[in-house]
Amino acid sequence: MKYRKQQQQQRSDPKLKKCPFCLKETKYIDYKDYPTMKPFVDYFGNIMKRYYSGVCLKHQKMLRNAIERARFMGMMAYRK
Amino acid sequence: MPTLTPTPEDTVIYEFCVLYPSNLSQKEEQTLLKGIEEIFAEAEAKELLRDAWGRRGLAYPIKKQTEGNFVVLYIEMDPTKVREIDRQLRILPHMLRHLIVRPPKDYEVTKFSQRFEQWLKDRETAVETERKEEEKRLQRKVVEKAKREVKRTEAKKKAPTSTLEEADLSKKLDELISDDSLGL
Repeated sequence: MKYRKQQQQQRSDPKLKKCPFCLKETKYIDYKDYPTMKPFVDYFGNIMKRYYSGVCLKHQKMLRNAIERARFMGMMAYRK
Repeated sequence: MPTLTPTPEDTVIYEFCVLYPSNLSQKEEQTLLKGIEEIFAEAEAKELLRDAWGRRGLAYPIKKQTEGNFVVLYIEMDPTKVREIDRQLRILPHMLRHLIVRPPKDYEVTKFSQRFEQWLKDRETAVETERKEEEKRLQRKVVEKAKREVKRTEAKKKAPTSTLEEADLSKKLDELISDDSLGL
């Protein structure tokens, strides 16, 4: 019984997640492109951790850059 | 959409994004845009493309403004003059924000204002479809509940008859047991 419970609580291996930007082979994330950035920001306006979204480091850096630019221009909220 | 490729000269393509309040009068707006153009003309910059987004809500109030007009300009110019332009843009009256970005090589220009509107429409339709699905689910639930109730009432109706039969059975059994001829 105990073993079963443990199995149920296990989550999928985060290493198995694939970067959604790598799949599309994006080379640049635009700060004006709200629809692509939106899913990587939570309700409070924080950028999601790589661990949860599965984005690779290269694209996470691009994404952070784009989101910060969008926030500065008032297209995205800093904090909700 | 056109792609931006730099010319072999010593010029660089820059992307300027300008934000100004939407409640300006037409005269003020025109003077502001003229002022921006003059700044570029002073620096001998060449305007390649312009993308005016029009009125759009801001995510947070800037200088007590909740709505603003965005204009995106693609400009080819000498990189040494960027700092001066940045300074002058900051001074301009009625300017809320501006951003200067160097787009990557072979950057493909897309009109994000249209894309944003399309996305908004798509989201609305998605929300509507979700609502419809939920309504259908609720209707199904109600129908199932009604069916279950009907079944229950039918079962209740049947129940007393079965009890009667049971009473008959017990009576018969009693008769059988009380029969002396069996010798129990």
